[in-house]
Amino acid sequence: MSETILPELFALLSTDLFLLLSLLTCLLEERFPKAIPYVYQIAALAGFGHLLVSKEFLTTFSEYMRFWYSFFYLIVALANIIAINVYLGVSKKLWTLSKAWSGAVTFPTIAISVFFAVNYGYTQGAQFPLLLLQVGLVASLLVMGLSISALLLRSDLLNKLRRRR
Amino acid sequence: MKLKKIQFRKSMKFLTLLLTSMIIATASAAMYYSLTMASTVEVYAANVVFWVGTDSGTKGLVVILNGANTTATLTGLRAYPNATFTYTDPVRVKNKGGTTAQLRLSPDVNPSANADDFEYVKFLLNATTSGDRKWLNYTSNGVSWTSPTGSTSWTTTGITGGSSWPIVVYTKARPAGVSGQTVTIVIKVDVD
Repeated sequence: MSETILPELFALLSTDLFLLLSLLTCLLEERFPKAIPYVYQIAALAGFGHLLVSKEFLTTFSEYMRFWYSFFYLIVALANIIAINVYLGVSKKLWTLSKAWSGAVTFPTIAISVFFAVNYGYTQGAQFPLLLLQVGLVASLLVMGLSISALLLRSDLLNKLRRRR
Repeated sequence: MKLKKIQFRKSMKFLTLLLTSMIIATASAAMYYSLTMASTVEVYAANVVFWVGTDSGTKGLVVILNGANTTATLTGLRAYPNATFTYTDPVRVKNKGGTTAQLRLSPDVNPSANADDFEYVKFLLNATTSGDRKWLNYTSNGVSWTSPTGSTSWTTTGITGGSSWPIVVYTKARPAGVSGQTVTIVIKVDVD
């Protein structure tokens, strides 16, 4: 019997993505609010909590349920990556940095996530709707990414308005 | 000077975050690994199985094995008043594996009925070497059954790969035992 991918892999991947975001936003701290790296560390800790809960309730939770809450957490992590990309490009007008971010962070992480999601879907056979999974992933990323970037932009706009007053 | 201060502060902040990131990443990976360990219990076919002995079909004995040969049901075993009746090879325990397996006979469901009809029912794990042989004796004093309680007869014994040992059954009914009365005993073969 071959060893299959567990749904918690998505939670582990998301935890690492949040840690990556934390370190990168720390390196680019002049461009982001000061609390952002710490917020991402807390988000990564939440991922660890995810894994802890999964382990403790392994026999209680069905695989379907474990998949969806791990996958949702991955969507949140990827949406944050996209949001930062949009924030750098649209709000801060740092086009070069935004392009570098999309090439070095956004695209590789989405590619890796889609690869794991598709692979997981195949190994689980017909248990998960594969097309819905892929379309859902892309749609969720777009919606959440745009929402988070809108949130960041709005706060930035508010700051600008306050300064004008 | 001011620039150096900022750089130092940023470095310290980054180092702190890096350290906590490493801790979180390691702990998460360890947690995931423990999950994979918890979920990769594999089912193996049993190496030690039952095998129908040469006594099956004789002396009223019928031996039925399940599909995986992991349970054996012996029916039609006879006990005669005041005489020991022996089934030398009703069912066998066979080690299909290549390595030695530790096994023992142990009680599962003890007899409770018709103690006034039987003297004893004894099971012997008839190992090739006499020193390795193990008994499991159920005796009756005419009022109640005495089942094996001590662990001395339950100690394990090693059966080499490819070997098969018969479980010999000895029966004896009381002189006043009523014909047609039955008793049911369930024993286990524990394998380490």
